[in-house]
Amino acid sequence: MTIQAKLTGPWPEVASWLRARTTLRTQHASMACLLLVALLFPPLINNDGDVDAAANALSFAALALGLNIVVGFAGLLDLGYAAFFAIGAYAYGALASWQLHPAWSSFWVPFQWLDLVSEVDGAVHFQVSFWLMLPISAAIAAFFGILFGAPTLRLKGDYLAIVTLGFGEIVPIVARNSPTLTNGAQGLNGVLPPVLFGYQFGVDATPYYYVGLALVVFLMFTSQRLKMSRIGRAWMAIREDEIGAAAMGVDRVRYKLMAFAIGAAFAGATGTLYVAKLQTATPEMFMFPVSVMLLVMIVFGGMGNVWGVVVGALILQILQSWLLQDLSGWLQALGELINVEWLQHVDLSQSIELIFGIILVLMMLYRRQGLIPASRRVAGLSLDEQAAQVSRGGFDALAGLGSIEERRTGPLLEIEGLTVRFGGLVALRSVSLSVPAHGIVAVIGPNGSGKSTLFNAVTGLLRADSGSVRFAGQQIAGMPAHRILKLGIARTFQNLRLFPNLTVLENVLVGMHSRLRTGLVGAVVRPPGTNREEHDAQERALEILSVFGNRLVPRINHVVSSLSYANRRRAEIARAIATRPKLLLLDEPTAGMNPAETLELADQIKSLNRLGLTIVLIEHKLDVVVNLADNVVVLDHGEVIASGPPDVVRRDEEVIRAYLGRSANVA
Amino acid sequence: MPDLLEFRSVDTYYGDLHVLKSVDYRIAEGEIVCLLGGNASGKSTTMKAIMGVVPPRRGEILFQGQPLAGVSVADRVRRGIAPVLEARRLFPRMTVYENLEMGAYTRQPGPELEKDLERVFTLFPVVKERLKQLAGTLSGGEQQMVAIGRALMTRPKLLCMDEPSMGLAPVLVEQVFDIVKMINRQGTTIFMVEQNANMALSIAHRAYVLQTGQVVLSGAAAELRQNDLIRQAYLGEMVVT
Amino acid sequence: MSDTTIIVQQVINGLSLGAMYALLAIGFTLVYGIMELINFAHFNVFMIGSFLGMWALESLGLSGQSQMLTGFALYGTLAFAFVVAMLGSGLLGVAIERIALRPLRGVAGTTGMITTIGVSYILFNVVLLVAGADAKNYPNPMPVVQWKVGGATFDLRQLLIWVVSLVLMIALQLFVSHSRLGKAMRATAQDSEAARMMGVDVDRVIATAFFLGSALAGASALIFGLYYNYTSFLIGYSAGLRAFTAAVLGGIGSVTGAVVGGILVGLIETLGGQFIAVRWTDVIIFSILVFVLVFAPSGLLGRARPTKS
Repeated sequence: MTIQAKLTGPWPEVASWLRARTTLRTQHASMACLLLVALLFPPLINNDGDVDAAANALSFAALALGLNIVVGFAGLLDLGYAAFFAIGAYAYGALASWQLHPAWSSFWVPFQWLDLVSEVDGAVHFQVSFWLMLPISAAIAAFFGILFGAPTLRLKGDYLAIVTLGFGEIVPIVARNSPTLTNGAQGLNGVLPPVLFGYQFGVDATPYYYVGLALVVFLMFTSQRLKMSRIGRAWMAIREDEIGAAAMGVDRVRYKLMAFAIGAAFAGATGTLYVAKLQTATPEMFMFPVSVMLLVMIVFGGMGNVWGVVVGALILQILQSWLLQDLSGWLQALGELINVEWLQHVDLSQSIELIFGIILVLMMLYRRQGLIPASRRVAGLSLDEQAAQVSRGGFDALAGLGSIEERRTGPLLEIEGLTVRFGGLVALRSVSLSVPAHGIVAVIGPNGSGKSTLFNAVTGLLRADSGSVRFAGQQIAGMPAHRILKLGIARTFQNLRLFPNLTVLENVLVGMHSRLRTGLVGAVVRPPGTNREEHDAQERALEILSVFGNRLVPRINHVVSSLSYANRRRAEIARAIATRPKLLLLDEPTAGMNPAETLELADQIKSLNRLGLTIVLIEHKLDVVVNLADNVVVLDHGEVIASGPPDVVRRDEEVIRAYLGRSANVA
Repeated sequence: MPDLLEFRSVDTYYGDLHVLKSVDYRIAEGEIVCLLGGNASGKSTTMKAIMGVVPPRRGEILFQGQPLAGVSVADRVRRGIAPVLEARRLFPRMTVYENLEMGAYTRQPGPELEKDLERVFTLFPVVKERLKQLAGTLSGGEQQMVAIGRALMTRPKLLCMDEPSMGLAPVLVEQVFDIVKMINRQGTTIFMVEQNANMALSIAHRAYVLQTGQVVLSGAAAELRQNDLIRQAYLGEMVVT
Repeated sequence: MSDTTIIVQQVINGLSLGAMYALLAIGFTLVYGIMELINFAHFNVFMIGSFLGMWALESLGLSGQSQMLTGFALYGTLAFAFVVAMLGSGLLGVAIERIALRPLRGVAGTTGMITTIGVSYILFNVVLLVAGADAKNYPNPMPVVQWKVGGATFDLRQLLIWVVSLVLMIALQLFVSHSRLGKAMRATAQDSEAARMMGVDVDRVIATAFFLGSALAGASALIFGLYYNYTSFLIGYSAGLRAFTAAVLGGIGSVTGAVVGGILVGLIETLGGQFIAVRWTDVIIFSILVFVLVFAPSGLLGRARPTKS
């Protein structure tokens, strides 16, 4: 069944979402027009200075696109991004100039055949083709992206920024202090211009403009495709809530490094173009102000929005190249006219950074999402659409669960002697419990008794100090969170860890991350297999969301921060189901729900269990516990003080005393 | 008796999230009133609204008949509202004495202050022994004593307690509740958020039950203990059946 | 000069630089401790502080290093310059906080930091427009008085740096540990919500932190001018990054840490410049910054945790 077939009728929002896909066609048309204008720009303008400025602007747009991957998509503030620009520039600069000239020997002969070097006066002349160097520089920069990114993985946002700033400063200083490789502060000499089918690029700006345009178009395409893929969703999940992302199966290390590497690759390729155009490179071209300028561009245009970033970059470049000089000229003329001395000497071309500063502050204060925001809000629902159609569980199939393997017997989860300490405080003291396959176990206990800590330790968000956790017979204590999820344990959080600025649908799709395969190449090229996978995933997501009747389905394109509390809880459960778990850990799933909603959810949980899911839930509402659980475990001060069927536990003296207080027996 | 604190159809929001929905409370002088409800029902938000940290979007809060809108936190404390925060929230790297001083932040030093300090020492002899110790190094029970002591240093008319039993061993919980009763008898009105419904109802005069941001039930504590809804949802009725 | 003499000399120089960095580092640490904000504007508050000090000295008719003063005239002149530089910088810091940062209170993430980068750019370029790009000859009324320590020399400027820094640091320490507002600052740093509930005006505490930190930056900046006999619109960035490294090395959030870190960075700079090469000192400093953040994020004395749990 296609999504269309399933969703016509009751959920108009979905239909409009499908319509939105057809508006893509109009978008394509306007893009073609824009491209035509860009292609005709040089012959129409016919002024080499202006084309040169435009070519530079395109280079910075390409850089901004790369920074946008790191900062806009993955949320990793990089203040030393220009370092990768430098690395790409010097990579080409060194391999296509007179800078390095070792003595000729037979070693170089094979390279001569490949036309990478030639012999000049008994020395080697490196002359690696510009076109070959574009991908190579990108790869070299990507390598450094990983190298510089790796140490920052555990750092918080602002400290990550400082470390990248440190690397960003170190690279140009090393370049300045390594004259053999870079000719130091004087700059590289005689970098070769590109040659294409015998056509020498030379010093005319037009061919560089076209290469720059092609690069920007390619990088925009790549960025856009990545953004709309499994990879882009993983980045945005990390940006929105790192812990939540890890708990949903995103390998944080891998995806952060991927963002650093791809962002750096964009800069590496652009560096090669830039140095080929200038035919020189000095360390000053890559210092902190360049990194800040790029940051201003993406903040101005709209972090995370590919079009916004390009528009931001172009506007600021145009401002710098043309408007400031014109403006200075006008002010000086005005100064002569009205005879004001200082106005006659005003030179605003020095003041671009002043404008950058003002833009940065104003954007942060008044429009943090930038000129073209990355996520837009969907209009609210009509009253009709808001009327809840209650779905009281009772469903007997759910594609999102995949095929739960044949019925197991015996325990699915076995915890033994689990101890967790925070400093001097013992949060869990030698906790042991066992969860039978296909059962429902409730964990109860007062606030602060260690229930959530138990979930954190089982799901790998917290490292236990000692003890063992076995899942389906396999030891999982000490495994990273994303691997535990992949084995089949999914969870929700007491305080919710949804990705607030992503839509309901995107949140659920992030849940599927570990079950999908799309890689970097697939995301960009989109072969039929990838398209099918993405389509199936969306279909499954809708099916999972329809577990909750019409509570979430009409809202799939709403960002979750606009949902009610109860709907956020449901969205988080849907996201957890999307991971295809065998074991579902629910941390107070009914908190913030009224009795009717609670009953509704309890039924839905029961149905999930009947489909084969094993469930552990933390719950305070005892009616829910009694209703659902086969077994109850009571925690108090980090220790299991009782466990057994609800009937037995509720008669336990110690439970009464610890959990219910002395006056329980008075009532 | 006049109302010390009154909520008149108060609505609060966090961003798009509607938390308290047209809530009314009336707390008379001299009462112990407890607020029951599950997690995420709006209990802590009630406390924050009283202190002025989360201002109401609609409705008003009155203290001694005066509207609190626009009154700074400091002035609320000066007028006699003192919070005992959830999970104690002492200043961990300040001494116990400095923590008590912070309680009296809005007051001028003088003999009155000394008197209140003595009162805290009488209520909590253990606090006096620990004056020079860093608050972060105390046990949970001791921290709760300091937290209550810190609130008393403002010489409050209304003590707002957010889950005083949280994370404490049963014997300590009883101790804390005995002290709350004593403080109340000495003339301080108490408004208490509690999860430990049985304990709370055993010392409270009246109670409100909050559910998804709405008051669904209120009345005398003794009556509420007989109420079926309460018995099932909050008193752990499965024990008593 | 023998090796020992060189080392002694560089230690003397390093301590002087270190005291300067320490004063500047305290500003980073005070603000970070309270609001977990890395304040890039601090770099150029320092730079403007040096201009304020210069203009104060020039307003008394001084220029260059030709006019020496002694006795009361010298003390009075210096005191005046310190008051102007500190008060001016302090007020600038408060204004920055009030205009650019207070509206962002409660906005999570790196927004505040990005804003301070913007503010820093604005300050930098305004000075460039107003005062021009050339380095300024800094008026300095101090007579050249030198003492010999072994083969090394130690002069009046260095003595001034040490005395002023020590006095300011002790004053700050007394303020933070004993005054009512100082205690409120510590309480806010440890738990701002709880402090607010005790009736602490958190906005006022933050403004105080900005004032104190910026005023110390002003003192540090005047010292910079008197020590090097020049200033320029460019001095903020490198001094600022060294001071920030000092704050991180000492443990951000800890005032004592900032002082210890400042002195260490000063020593590393002079000794590293002597024994490795001046052109590599920046790389050394940045490497320390990166290394500490990555491997020992709480620094020597800090409790703040730059890593996430």
